[in-house]
Amino acid sequence: MKLLLDQLEKVKPLVQPGGKLEKLYPLYEATDTFLFTPADETGSAPHVRDARDMKRTMITVLIAMIPCVLFGIWKSGHQHNVVNQIAGTTFLDDLIQGSLLVVPIIIVSYAVGGAWETLFAVVRKHEINEGFLVTGMLFPLTLPPTIPLWQVAVGISFGVVIGKEVFGGTGFNVLNPALTARAFIFFSFPKAITGDEVWTSVAADGQLIEGFSGATPLAVVAQNPESVDILNTLQTADYGEGFTWMRLFMGDFGGSIGESSGPACLIGAAILILAGVGSWRIMLSSVVGLAAGAFLMNAVAASGEPGEFIAFTQLPFHYHLVTGGFLFGAIFMATDPVSGAATNKGKWIYGFMIGLLIVLIRVANPAYPEGVMLAILFMNVMAPLIDHFVLQAHIRSREHYLRKFKPHD
Amino acid sequence: MGSYKIRKGLDLKLKGAPMPAVANNLDAKFVSIYPPEFTGVKPRLVVKEGDPVKRGGMLFYDKRNEQLKFRAPAGGKIDAIKLGPRRVVTEISIEISGDEELESFNQYSAEDILALPREEVLDQLLETGYLAYLLQRPFSKIADPEVLPKSIFVNGMNTAPFQADIHIAVAGDEAAFQAGLNVLSRLTNGKVHLCLAEHSSHASPAVLNAKNVESHSFSGPHPAGNTSVHIHHIDPIAPGDNVWTARAVDVIQIGKLFLEGVLPATKVVAVGGTGIRETSRQYYRIRVGGGLEHFLEERLSEVPARIISGDALGGTQIGSDERLRFYQSSITAIPKNRERHLLGWLSPGWGQFSASRLFLSTWFRRVEAWDLNTNLNGSHRTMVITGIYDKYLPMKIMVDYLVRAALAHDTDETVKLGILETDPEDFALCSYVCPSKMDIMSIIRKGLTEVEEEGL
Repeated sequence: MKLLLDQLEKVKPLVQPGGKLEKLYPLYEATDTFLFTPADETGSAPHVRDARDMKRTMITVLIAMIPCVLFGIWKSGHQHNVVNQIAGTTFLDDLIQGSLLVVPIIIVSYAVGGAWETLFAVVRKHEINEGFLVTGMLFPLTLPPTIPLWQVAVGISFGVVIGKEVFGGTGFNVLNPALTARAFIFFSFPKAITGDEVWTSVAADGQLIEGFSGATPLAVVAQNPESVDILNTLQTADYGEGFTWMRLFMGDFGGSIGESSGPACLIGAAILILAGVGSWRIMLSSVVGLAAGAFLMNAVAASGEPGEFIAFTQLPFHYHLVTGGFLFGAIFMATDPVSGAATNKGKWIYGFMIGLLIVLIRVANPAYPEGVMLAILFMNVMAPLIDHFVLQAHIRSREHYLRKFKPHD
Repeated sequence: MGSYKIRKGLDLKLKGAPMPAVANNLDAKFVSIYPPEFTGVKPRLVVKEGDPVKRGGMLFYDKRNEQLKFRAPAGGKIDAIKLGPRRVVTEISIEISGDEELESFNQYSAEDILALPREEVLDQLLETGYLAYLLQRPFSKIADPEVLPKSIFVNGMNTAPFQADIHIAVAGDEAAFQAGLNVLSRLTNGKVHLCLAEHSSHASPAVLNAKNVESHSFSGPHPAGNTSVHIHHIDPIAPGDNVWTARAVDVIQIGKLFLEGVLPATKVVAVGGTGIRETSRQYYRIRVGGGLEHFLEERLSEVPARIISGDALGGTQIGSDERLRFYQSSITAIPKNRERHLLGWLSPGWGQFSASRLFLSTWFRRVEAWDLNTNLNGSHRTMVITGIYDKYLPMKIMVDYLVRAALAHDTDETVKLGILETDPEDFALCSYVCPSKMDIMSIIRKGLTEVEEEGL
C-alpha cells in the first residue's frame, strides 16, 4: 500500500501544471482517487464535511444494478442453452455461456465510453465524473445479448458525446446518456435491436427448440388478432412455456440483457431507496401513471364491441408492470437526477407522465411494441419545463407567505 | 410568545463539547482589534504606534460615517499597527499596562435606559463602536442608524458545534443582559424577539424570564438556532424590509457598557473540540481582544489541529497566535486530517459519520458523538441538482435553484428565491452534506454582495 502511494507521488509532478504530462491530470486524478481517498482538506467553512462523496453515491447505484447484471448474464446463457437445445447444461454452464455473451458488451461499453469521458475531461480540464460508471453499465443492460460489439461502441460514443458532453458534460445534459445511446442504436440499426430474432442468442448450427419464435411478450401482444383473448395468447406463446404473469415477473425469457427480471429490479429499487440515492417519488408515480394508462385503455376496450379495438387495449395493468423494460426504466433510468425532474412536485408529474406515456406508446403506437425508452427520453426533455413551472409556483407561494406577515394597511 | 418546531436539518454530534463551567483567564499581555472584521467600515486611524491609550480610547473611525468610532478594548500603549495589501489596517495591537486608565461614557440604570430617546441610545452605540454588535438584514452588515428596523432579533440559541451558550455565559451578568435588552427595545418601534432553545440543560432564569422582549422557543436540529430561521418563522424579510439582529452573548456587553459607563474588559468564550485537551474544554472569561497564544499553548492537545474562531460549521480559521476577535465568542479546535485510505469507496463505512444512508454506521451504529476532522472526504465535482440541500434548510427556499441563480449572477432571480432572508451561515449544512463538495457558503456570500451592489 505504501509502495502504491509512493508510486502515485512519483508520477504526480509529471501531471501537475508545468509537468510533461500535465494534460493527463484528469486521468491521474481519477486513478489516484480511485485507489486512495483524497488527502484534500476543507478550505473555508464548513470545516468538517460529510463522509459521502460522488464516488460513493455512484458506487451505490452500481451495487443496486448488480442483481440485474448477474441475472442478465445467467438469463442470456440459459436462454441460449434452452433454445438451442444444448443438453445437460447446469447453472454454471448457463453462467459461463452468459458471460461469453454479455461481458464483452460491458467491456466495450466501459472502454469506449471511458475513453470519450477521459478525452473530454482532458480537453475541458475538469475531473472525470463518476457518473460514467453508471452510464457505462446501464447501456449494456438495455441491449439484446446478440448486439454486434461495434454497434455497442458506436452507441456509447453517441450517448456520451452527443447525449452528454456537447451540453457541457455531467450535470448539464438534458437526456439520459445511456438511453440516448440506446435510442441511437434503435433508430440507426433497427435490425440489431428490434424484431423477434435479436433477443435470444442462437447458435449458428443450433437445433432450435420447437415452437420458438423469439418474439418478446410485448411483441406477442402487439401481434395478437383483435378478437382473441390476449391472456390466452400469452399463456401459450414461447415454445409452449407460456408468458404467465409469474414468468414475466421472474424474467427468464428473451429480451434485453438486464431489464426482464422483476425481482432483480426490485432489489435494485430497494437499495436505491434505502440508500436515499434513487427517487422513490419518481418510481412510485411512474407506477401510478402506468396504472392510470392501463385502466384507461382497459376501459376503452370494454366500451366497444369485442374486436373493435386492438387486443393490446385489453392488457391488464399488472401485465404492463412486468413486461418490457418498465421496472428497469422506472427504477434506473427515470431516476437519473440530472436528466429527470429535480423538484419534488416535479418528480411526481414527471414520473406519472412517464408511466402514462409508456402505456400510450405501447398500445396506441403501431410501430413499436415497447415505449419505455421513448417515454423517458420525451419526459427528460420536458423535465426542465416541469421544474420551471414548479419553481414559478414556489416563487408565488413565497410572495404569499411574506405577505401574510405584512401589517394590514 | 411562540413555540416553533423545526424538522429539517441535522445535529452534528461533534466530540469535545465544552463543559458548562466558567474559569477566569485574564492574564493576557496584549489585546488586538481587527478592523477588517467590521464589514463595510473604512477605518481612519487616529493613533500611531507608541501612543498611550485608555481602555475606551478612540483608535479609528469610519470614513463613511464619521460618528461611528472604534475604541481600544484595553488601556496601555499602541504596540503595533499592521497593514495588509494596499495599506489596509489589518490589526491594531495594544500592550496592556498595569494600571489601565478608563475613558468614561454615559452611565445609566436599567430603568433609565427604558426612558431614553432612540437618538441618545444610538449616540452611545456609535460613540463606542458597539453598534457593530447589531447587524442589519438583509446582508448582515453593521446596522444603519438612519434606518428604523421593523423588529430586532436576539439569538439566544446555539445549535452549531460549538457556540457559547447564553445560559452559561450570562452567569454573573444577569443584570447587564437585561439592561442590554432594554437598550435594544429603544431602537425599534416593533418588537424585540428573544429566540431561545426549548430545552436547555443549564437554563438561567435571567434568560428565560427576560423582560421587555417577546420570547420564542425553537426546538429541532441545527439550523434551528440560526437567526435567519427565527426571522423566517416569526417576521420574515420581504424585499425592502429591515430587521436588526444581535447575539444574546453580545447583548451582555452592550448592557455592561450602559450600566457601567465604560467598555467591558472581559467576555465569556466557549472553548471546545477534540483539538483541545479534554480537561480544558469549558468556558473561559478572557480579556476582550486578548491574545490567545499562551492560552491555547497550554490547552491544545497533541494532535495537529485547526483553530477556528466560532463554530466548526460557520467559523473562520485563525492562527494559534492570534487574538480574540470582536465577534468571537467561541474557539473550536478540530484535528487536521490528510490521511489516505486504500479503495475508500469500497469500505462499508462503519467508522465514518454521514448524514446519508450510504454508510453502515448510519444504519447500525448509535454513536454519542463523532470525532470529525478537516478532511474533505472526497473531491470537488460538478453540481447536480438533486434537492438534497432542501432537507437542511428549514425555510421556504429551494436551495438548489437559489445556488444555481447565484452561480449565474442572476440577482433578480436570487431575490425572488429568497436570498435576502438568508446569511451564508445558513448554508453551512448544505455544504457539509454536498456530495460534490461545493462551497455553497461562498456562492451565497457572493450572491448577496452582488444583490447589494446592484441595489434592490
